[in-house]
Amino acid sequence: MIETSADSAQPLPGDFAIWIFIFAELVVFGVLFAAYAFARSSHVDVFNASQLTLNRAYGFADTLILVTSSYSVARATLSIKAGSSTACGHWLAGALGLGGLFLVLKSVEFHQDLAQGITLSTNLFYMFYLALTFFHFMHVVMGMAILAVVDYKAYAGRYSAENYTGVETGGSYWHMVDLVWIILFALVYVIH
Amino acid sequence: MKLLHFMPLRPCTLTWLVLLGLTTITYELGSWASGKLLMTAVLALTLVKGELVVSYFMGLRHVQLLWRLVMAAYLAAVGGVIAIAYLTA
Amino acid sequence: MKYPSQQVAKPYFIAALALFVGQIVFGLIAGLQYLHGTFLFPELPFDVAHMSHTNLLIVWLLMAFMGAAYFIVPEEAQTELYSPRLALVTFWVFLIAAALTIVAYLFVPYAQLAAITGNAALPTMGRGYLEQPLPTKIGIVLVALSLLFNVTMTLIKGRKTSINLILVGSLWGLALLFLPAFYFPHDTVKASFGWWWIVHGWVEGDWELILGALLGFILIKMTGVDREIVEKWLYIIVAMTLISGIIGIGHHYYYTGAPSYWIWLGSIFSALEPIPFILLIVFSFKMLMQRRREHPNKAAMLWALGTPVMAFLGAGLWGFMITLAPAQYYIHGTNFTAAHGHLAFFGAYAMVSLAIISYAMPLLRGRTANSAAAQRWEMAGFWIMVFSMIGITLALTGAGIVTVFLQRAADDPMGFMQAQDKARVFFWVREFAGVAFFIGLLVYLRSFFIAGEYEYADEMKQALAA
Repeated sequence: MIETSADSAQPLPGDFAIWIFIFAELVVFGVLFAAYAFARSSHVDVFNASQLTLNRAYGFADTLILVTSSYSVARATLSIKAGSSTACGHWLAGALGLGGLFLVLKSVEFHQDLAQGITLSTNLFYMFYLALTFFHFMHVVMGMAILAVVDYKAYAGRYSAENYTGVETGGSYWHMVDLVWIILFALVYVIH
Repeated sequence: MKLLHFMPLRPCTLTWLVLLGLTTITYELGSWASGKLLMTAVLALTLVKGELVVSYFMGLRHVQLLWRLVMAAYLAAVGGVIAIAYLTA
Repeated sequence: MKYPSQQVAKPYFIAALALFVGQIVFGLIAGLQYLHGTFLFPELPFDVAHMSHTNLLIVWLLMAFMGAAYFIVPEEAQTELYSPRLALVTFWVFLIAAALTIVAYLFVPYAQLAAITGNAALPTMGRGYLEQPLPTKIGIVLVALSLLFNVTMTLIKGRKTSINLILVGSLWGLALLFLPAFYFPHDTVKASFGWWWIVHGWVEGDWELILGALLGFILIKMTGVDREIVEKWLYIIVAMTLISGIIGIGHHYYYTGAPSYWIWLGSIFSALEPIPFILLIVFSFKMLMQRRREHPNKAAMLWALGTPVMAFLGAGLWGFMITLAPAQYYIHGTNFTAAHGHLAFFGAYAMVSLAIISYAMPLLRGRTANSAAAQRWEMAGFWIMVFSMIGITLALTGAGIVTVFLQRAADDPMGFMQAQDKARVFFWVREFAGVAFFIGLLVYLRSFFIAGEYEYADEMKQALAA
């Protein structure tokens, strides 16, 4: 997947500080995933039984939404590099809309779980399922807050073909939120 | 990835379509496969998806090798830990 | 120092150091009582010495934080403090209340103290760190409100920098997190659930933000690195602190009657709590390497760099060793916990307090930096205290391990006192390390009594001659 190009010595896109944060967040999620996997290895039956009660279609839809949202942010970055701040703003607005849709869908899922009387105490699988997805949910909220600021600035014309670090900074965080969801979807919804 | 240059699509658009496709395969696999086959296949697909997001969405394919290696190592580590945990269950 | 009103910080810093001395004296007495249980009994029983040791710690740290706030907020806001007079009145109220409380601990039996101070009407006394009688607790709230009013008004009328926002915001958090002190239900599960939110909500969450803000301020001043860079780092550190700390506090809920999922959530998230400390280390040393000036106050720089390193060791590493639920099952309440407590409190909060004092006190006394001789004393004090505290920590860790293997995890477990006896050698090491720490503190304090300012010319001459 790694493609070498002439300008392969560029620094990381966006502000370097956001990458420190992204790496720290990835470590946090990595530890959570590892904990899930090892907790499962001593409670396989509980995990398998409870996992089957999840509606995998929701997870599927969640993933499609976030991937598309991430794509939208990638297009926003391309747009601003091409000098169009309006297009950049529109793509970001699209990404935000999809982020909102993700939150709505996830809330519906949480609501259904609660209606069935499922809580953190139900069993170990649901503890992880609720904790992981809610923790990720909060990251989507935070990512959307960052994107909203970037979008506002994009529409206000504060970015240009020469100055687009802010778009890349916010975008990189959003891609990270997408990346961890892709792993989370596979781990929690699919693999059993 | 020379192929990309002959495609009418932007690399990130192609990436997006591939991601949608791989997600669908992952979802479908979940319905009929199970056990080690499912785990191996889905983990492999997920690592590919992760690398696609890192390279084409985050844009890390343009940056210093070090950072690409860090990200690849992260994905490999997470995938490896999950695989070990599932195989030793 | 740019604004005369910053001078109110001075009495706070001096009082903090005086109370620090008191804390160490009580620590030495309590440490000796581990070896000779009847030492000073019945005049000063162990529980009173212990309580005075921990309460003085909290009070001197609060004094130092308040002094830091009165020093930093006006400078960052680029305006005079809203009311220096109120700050000064608050200082005396706080100092007298703290002193009276300690005197009451020493001369009035605790149960009688509870009866006199109306503990029956609103029971609050008895829990660790929160032994203060009701009037003292109310006094703490009033002092905190006065501080918050003062610094918030200053912030409103002045420049709103990120450092100021983080500092004032976390001071608000500090005050709010104290409120569960007034919640002490009969249900011990609920009582301990609320209790952890106070001192541990402070040290694992809110105070880390204060630490970040103080360190950020010192580093901006001393290295001349762009504010923008420091602020970005601070935001990342704040975010990681909250992400790990808020749920990580669940490691106090194991086996207390709280739902069992806390065993998992607490373990996982508290295992992540070292991350912000690692970031603090990277941040501090990066700022040092990017420095644009050589500040003459070398001692303050030493404190500022020592803080994240020691905080990482004490809070991060020692905390991690005892935080996972299976480990905690055996280690809880042994001297291993005390080892963590000592190195974490000293490495994070005592050291950051001494760092801001080291930076601010020369300025408050009208110098850019102390003379080279004074700084040599101060830095000698730094090293003696740091190594002594590491000695205390290792000794307590040893004592904790003895308890774990003889009393907790043994096939044929020993009784508590028998196991304590086996750890005697470690208690001796701890006591000697404690004496060394006290000497280090005296060496440090000696630096304040060396007159004179840092002389660039003299230093240049010496450097050229060498």
